[in-house]
Amino acid sequence: MLAFENAPPFAAPLRFFLTAPLFAALAGLLVAFEGPDIFASRWTPGALAATHLITIGFMLQVMLGALIQILPVVAGASLKRPVAVARVVHVGLTVGALLLAAGFFFGAPALLGIAALTLGLSMLFFLAVTVSALIAVPTTSPTIRGIKVALFGLSGVVGLGVVLALALAYGWPLPLMALADLHAGWGLGGWAGVLLAAMAYVVVPMFQLTPGYPARASWWFPLFMLLMLLLWSIGVLGDWSLLVRLGQLGAALAGMAFAGLTLRLQGQRRRARPDATYRYWQLGLILSIFGLFFLLTVAIRPALADIDGWTLMFGVLLIAGGFIPFITGMLYKIVPFLSWTHLQTCGQAKVPAPAMNKILAEPAMHRQLLAYAAALALLLAAIVIPAWLARPAGLAFAVANGWLWWNLAGAIGRYRHHQADIEAKLAAKLTAP
Amino acid sequence: MTHPKTPHVVDARYMEPPGPFVATMEMLDTLKEGEKMLLLLFREPHPLYKVLRQNGHNYETELLPDGTFEILISR
Repeated sequence: MLAFENAPPFAAPLRFFLTAPLFAALAGLLVAFEGPDIFASRWTPGALAATHLITIGFMLQVMLGALIQILPVVAGASLKRPVAVARVVHVGLTVGALLLAAGFFFGAPALLGIAALTLGLSMLFFLAVTVSALIAVPTTSPTIRGIKVALFGLSGVVGLGVVLALALAYGWPLPLMALADLHAGWGLGGWAGVLLAAMAYVVVPMFQLTPGYPARASWWFPLFMLLMLLLWSIGVLGDWSLLVRLGQLGAALAGMAFAGLTLRLQGQRRRARPDATYRYWQLGLILSIFGLFFLLTVAIRPALADIDGWTLMFGVLLIAGGFIPFITGMLYKIVPFLSWTHLQTCGQAKVPAPAMNKILAEPAMHRQLLAYAAALALLLAAIVIPAWLARPAGLAFAVANGWLWWNLAGAIGRYRHHQADIEAKLAAKLTAP
Repeated sequence: MTHPKTPHVVDARYMEPPGPFVATMEMLDTLKEGEKMLLLLFREPHPLYKVLRQNGHNYETELLPDGTFEILISR
């Protein structure tokens, strides 16, 4: 059901997928370089730089690449000139993320300003292209609704991010902490969370052979999350803390409900053997429930946010414990699957494509997963005992993500090898008398 | 498997891709003029929709409460 004749060329998403792990590895190296100081608070220059290397450099990178690839398949909407769009967005995102991280790390207002401009314009371009492709598409499924709401969420997180970067750079008198929380809420909830759910509705049943997501909950989740973020935003604008807390509470509960439902569906899967994607998703679902629990507690008792490590624990659990595992698990399905479908097309039904596990073998993915889980455990422990564990945790995180890059790059190398082989066999068949 | 809407049903809800696409195209080939078939899936098959439109087939889609998309395809 994933005929790819109307899908973009492999080069369009691939550049995003191969760049992303390098950003996560760089974030790990930064933690290792900075050491215990980075865990002092989430507002340290190093913590801000590392966070954005991961959220923009890794998460946003893969999500946009995947969206360019998957829009025709899940929404029937094709981008015009997808490779050109991918090239522009990829360069803007990569340069912008590096500049932003450098701006935070060195406290350089000029870099923050240029980064805000680069990222803002790149995302404006991406939004213009995707919205024009989706505008005529009727909302016939919860996935399409989710994608539309997520794009609104993307505009929210980017808009707030640009304002915050400029406010930091030029000393604008704004309530930076409340706006930064809201920025994170739009990014993790309104954009990443809703997009993740919209994709999960399709890929969890398809790849893990689970039952489908119940229709009513699927329709409501994106709208409910949007409503909670609007309440939170109005709360910040009007300085009504009760509204802010209500929005946070609702967003946390919705996220936990989605994760709980997905765990339940995975428990009913018909695929007997768990693969790396399944294990990565299990890890991500469980840890994101713990992460959202921290948000829930802060929504109920805001004073908890003042406890050392409380908000860091939320961030590490949700981002490094939840989103990175979801995304890595998806990459481990998408890259071999796209390789296989492109090889199928290349063979023109005359030369068969190799099996997907010949492109990326399960043991390689499983070993990297173990390395990532170990890095994650160290990272969480480093919040409690930074003096001993900050540097080992950073190094382990860099190694695990470097390993992810190695696995993906190896898969692409084998894909190219098979492609050349298939083309040679095809040419031999066509020229044979 | 039969269904109140038609006896020709492909239940592809627990099939891995490209199984659903292949099974649907195979069943369409066996239908006579005026007959209909039903495809059951946990997602909307947009690439299949495109092929159906190109080949002149009509289809109607309904989302059931359990998350099943019922796609009724006319020959």
